[in-house]
Amino acid sequence: MSFDEARVAAGAARRIGEPILTLDDISLAFGGVKALSGVSFDVCEHEIRAIIGPNGAGKSSMLNVINGVYRPNAGTITFRGEKRPHMEPRRSAERGIARTFQSLALFKGMSVLDNILAGRNLLMKSNLFLQALRVGPALREEIAHRHRVEEIIDFLEIQHVRKTPVGRLPYGLQKRVDLGRALAAEPRMLLLDEPMAGMNVEEKQDMSRFILDVNDEFGTTIVLIEHDMGVVMDLSDRVVVLDYGRKIADGTPDEVRASQAVIDAYLGVKH
Amino acid sequence: MTAARTHALTLAFFILLAIAAVLPMATGVARFPQWLEIVIGGLMTGVLYSLVALGLVLIFKASGVFNFAQGAMVLFAALTLVRLMEKMPFIAALAVTLAVMVAVAWVIERLVLRPLVNQEGIVLFMATLGVAYFLDGFGQLAWGSDVYTLDIGMPKEPKIILGNVFEGGVLIDSEDMVAALIAALLVAALTLFFQKTSTGRALRAVADDHQAAQSVGIPLNRIWVIVWSVAGLVALVAGVVWGSKLGVQFSLAQVALKALPVVILGGFTSIPGAIVGGLLIGLGEKLSEVYLGPFFGGGIENWFAYVLALVFLLFRPEGLFGEKHIDRV
Amino acid sequence: MPVHDGTPDTFPKLLRVHARVRGGQPAIREKDLGIWQTWTWSGLLEEVAALATALSHAGLERGAHIAVIGANRPRLYATIIAAQAVGAIPVPFYEDAVANEMVYVFRDAGIAFAVVEDQEQADKLLEILPQCPALKRIWYDDARGLRHYQRPELASYASLREAGAKAAQENPGFLEGEIARAAGDDTAIMLYTSGTTGHPKGVVLSHRNLIEASRAYAELEGLRDDEEVLAYLPMAWIGQNLFSYAQWMAVGFRINCVESSQTVLTDMREIGPTYYFAPPRVLEALLTEVTIRMEDAGWVKRLLFRHFMALARRVGSRLLDGTSVGPGDRLHYAIGNLLMYAPLRNTLGMSRIRVAYTAGEAIGPDLFVFYRSLGINLKQLYGSTETSVMVCVQPNGAVKPDTVGPPMKGVEVRVLESGEIVLRCPGLFREYYKDPQATAEAKDAEGWFHTGDAGYFDDSGQLKIIDRAKDVGKLSGGTLFAPKYLENKLKFFPYIKEAVAFGDGHGEATAMINIDMAAVGDWAERRGIPYSGYTDLVAKPQVRDLVRDCVESVNADLAADPRLAGSQLHRFVILHKELDADDGELTRTRKVRRRFIAEKYAAIVEALYSGVPRCTIEAQVRFEDGRVGSVRADLEVTAAKTFARDAARAAA
Repeated sequence: MSFDEARVAAGAARRIGEPILTLDDISLAFGGVKALSGVSFDVCEHEIRAIIGPNGAGKSSMLNVINGVYRPNAGTITFRGEKRPHMEPRRSAERGIARTFQSLALFKGMSVLDNILAGRNLLMKSNLFLQALRVGPALREEIAHRHRVEEIIDFLEIQHVRKTPVGRLPYGLQKRVDLGRALAAEPRMLLLDEPMAGMNVEEKQDMSRFILDVNDEFGTTIVLIEHDMGVVMDLSDRVVVLDYGRKIADGTPDEVRASQAVIDAYLGVKH
Repeated sequence: MTAARTHALTLAFFILLAIAAVLPMATGVARFPQWLEIVIGGLMTGVLYSLVALGLVLIFKASGVFNFAQGAMVLFAALTLVRLMEKMPFIAALAVTLAVMVAVAWVIERLVLRPLVNQEGIVLFMATLGVAYFLDGFGQLAWGSDVYTLDIGMPKEPKIILGNVFEGGVLIDSEDMVAALIAALLVAALTLFFQKTSTGRALRAVADDHQAAQSVGIPLNRIWVIVWSVAGLVALVAGVVWGSKLGVQFSLAQVALKALPVVILGGFTSIPGAIVGGLLIGLGEKLSEVYLGPFFGGGIENWFAYVLALVFLLFRPEGLFGEKHIDRV
Repeated sequence: MPVHDGTPDTFPKLLRVHARVRGGQPAIREKDLGIWQTWTWSGLLEEVAALATALSHAGLERGAHIAVIGANRPRLYATIIAAQAVGAIPVPFYEDAVANEMVYVFRDAGIAFAVVEDQEQADKLLEILPQCPALKRIWYDDARGLRHYQRPELASYASLREAGAKAAQENPGFLEGEIARAAGDDTAIMLYTSGTTGHPKGVVLSHRNLIEASRAYAELEGLRDDEEVLAYLPMAWIGQNLFSYAQWMAVGFRINCVESSQTVLTDMREIGPTYYFAPPRVLEALLTEVTIRMEDAGWVKRLLFRHFMALARRVGSRLLDGTSVGPGDRLHYAIGNLLMYAPLRNTLGMSRIRVAYTAGEAIGPDLFVFYRSLGINLKQLYGSTETSVMVCVQPNGAVKPDTVGPPMKGVEVRVLESGEIVLRCPGLFREYYKDPQATAEAKDAEGWFHTGDAGYFDDSGQLKIIDRAKDVGKLSGGTLFAPKYLENKLKFFPYIKEAVAFGDGHGEATAMINIDMAAVGDWAERRGIPYSGYTDLVAKPQVRDLVRDCVESVNADLAADPRLAGSQLHRFVILHKELDADDGELTRTRKVRRRFIAEKYAAIVEALYSGVPRCTIEAQVRFEDGRVGSVRADLEVTAAKTFARDAARAAA
């Protein structure tokens, strides 16, 4: 039984809302190389949106445009009603966009707990002096943060490695910690960069379940890019397909699967 | 190298060291009380080395920069303090000096680190060389180049302990005892700061992985200012202790050079390594000076640390406590 | 101190006494979000009152069954007591049971209500709903993932409790009346035994059964109300039910629910239980972990470990039994205690243990002695679901590794001529639910229960169990063949996880072996042997040699035993996959399903006896998501050296 079928069987109701992010006619070039040309699509609140495509299709560039690492040469980005020519990394974090990384960027020498706590950095308010003394508001704040992090640890079922340095964990668990750290920032929108790369079947299923649960439980809007079509099709509400920096299809997984352009791109038919 | 072999090597080193330290007694060259005096004296000197090394390790961990200016910072802090004490009470002078050190950290971040971000380690090292000369020069320009006596009320008179156990007892420098206590307090405070505060956590995060830290919104620039300020604080403590022992003078910066072999021994990234390394070198050079000196014609104290460091560079470049690879394949 | 308050004869009455006598004391703790949360006895009573009222209002009738499914959670424990308070019968399920297995029990017991832990369990029940029309309501404790489910059957535990709290306030006398209506001989709980063959059977146990058994243990060991006990085993297992529910209620101590099945060791270290119960497989897993950790340690530590463990094996158990040990050894052991045993006990979370029990299946003597030699008072006991566990227990001071001790007070045990053990005891179950035929087969007219176990009393009157009566067979030469005995001997090696011995009716004994992935994987890494997974590792010639060494050392042992020397293992096959309860190869309590395996792997058994060097097998495996796939493997039959009786003696 696929995940969606399971949901339907359970009578789950989805509540997809208005567009939270709209990308309009985005183009991006590095020197003379065009990474993205005139790509437009939107992401609705509470939706799971996948961006797929063969290697070099421009998926990562798209993600970096969304969170402001790259500045597009043309086009506009509207996030939560704010229309801009480009985003800024810190601003996107403050406005509620968190991301995970394909090549893990965790603090390998620090414990799982500390890694996820570090993800709450932007939400920490009290000053250095009070922290050091562990008194009053600083202590209350630390306890509140810890509580939230414990909920994430519980959610991701990593209680047993709470105090383990991340570097000692198997890859699948590290991916989960990475997701936990992104969640710690309490994002409105979560960007997942190939969340299932390098995983075995069982780990992929676990990760799919967590992604669905995050979406379901916290209502987090999720944008994920993935090279492999398989699992993503079960997971996503809508899928954008990129090829050579152009959008070649956009729609429900079934529509995308049936699209001739997509079949050609994945089979490597020359243009 | 497997974990077990590394363990064995470390253990062998310590056993060898223990044998070497006890040897003078076993061969009948030394009397026990005299030997104990030397051991304690060596350890106390070691504490001072550790203080300087600590500053080096902190900065290296957080920013990957080998801070050649740590010695100069010690001298600068001590000079600032001693001259300010002429005009105000000790506590006020201490506070002002600390503020000056934070300002220095801020300036270094702004004028040196930020423009050089993402440069090679060697470039940053050269930059700290410049900072070292600048601080030396600027310090003497601003505060004068005489030898100043720093008296912060540390007890000077030596103490005799275990008088009823050995004839004549064991002579202990009470100033050294206070210095050791201060160092221990500093280390405890730093540990608390690093392990128990969210800023400490952010510092560890930056030390672990710059880019990952940036991605969760940890501001690198602010962290660098904090780290250099902490290094400034450590330099100030070292300056106070060294200065009141040797007097505040230019040679302080040279003594601080001993911190280099200490961190090679202990490992560049390990705070416990800096402490153990300092103690080992302090102990080693005093013992060898007294017991081997007659055979080599003295002066061992001056080169012992560097030879030991060289041996380590050859056989165990990561130092005693340096980073081991814990990643599993 | 056991409770003597007009001797309450049901669990809800016991709860009421505890709430009065020690209301402010902790009754149950749960590690939630990294912190131990405490429920006091009076808090628990309040919870139970609300819940019982709510369940009654929802239509739970006296004598009806209610399913309780999930890990050890305070709210599920409260559900059990609440159901009992209104005269209903809780039926706990193994949390890892797959949906299909649940269908039978739901239909058999006609279950209409279920309280479950989380989404995973709720999903299973929703899946089987069409097959179980009687099932009307499902309440869940953890709402995660369930918030958007729109099913009329589903509601949260919190909503149930809230409704009950209001109703309980309006009608405060209701619960008192309900509790007073029950007596000791009413049914307290129904536990399904997985059984190695056929459908599971519902064992009906009364309050009196469980409370008398609990009091017998409490008296024997002097249990007090400040004991700390870890609740981590499946609630559907009689062992867990007796030691963490019935005795908890009878004595009034504290139980501590672990955070997850993977944090047991950490949680145990934090709680430091004083009274502990573990089936052999848990103790085995702990020992494996210790052994692996020791092999990773530096050589000094390894040397110390070997030295002091040898000493412990020699004198540790004797010290615990209070028999004479020389002053030199005593001092030596004391040093060992300081350097090795105490830290090791601490690592295992066993520093504060006064009494520890093991049961469920036979424990390897070496494994058993390991814990005792560390100074942990681990004792074996014997019993089953049908006897409320209470049959035999090893007495303090006279513990022998290969017996289960003399019968407890009030228990009569006889050994039939066939070798089967029969008994009568206060804990004996009333019946198998709706199965008078099975009940009559198990319990004869004079009330003797036929255990199905084979064994005998030794010279000191302690009972020794060898195997299941029906499994004990003979080789074609007439030698006794006790497969379990051989398998246990094999399984004590850290590298062997499961073993199935064959031989009944054949000329020689042989075995099918499962390696322990963790231990052998570690062993291979240490030797730089690359492997990609379980199947690949199994095929390595070095691994085969490793297992052969184990088998041959078992053979050497057997050769020294005149009764069993003939059943040495001549050949073995290392299986390409792990035996798995999901594939029906093990029971939920991880006992080998011998017959099923013999049928499923008939090709392997044939190869073991036909003299061919290899065999090919295709086996079905069930993935976690329920899909079924097949794995094909080419397995090698390996011969092992056997020893003549005399030669073994000469070598020894």
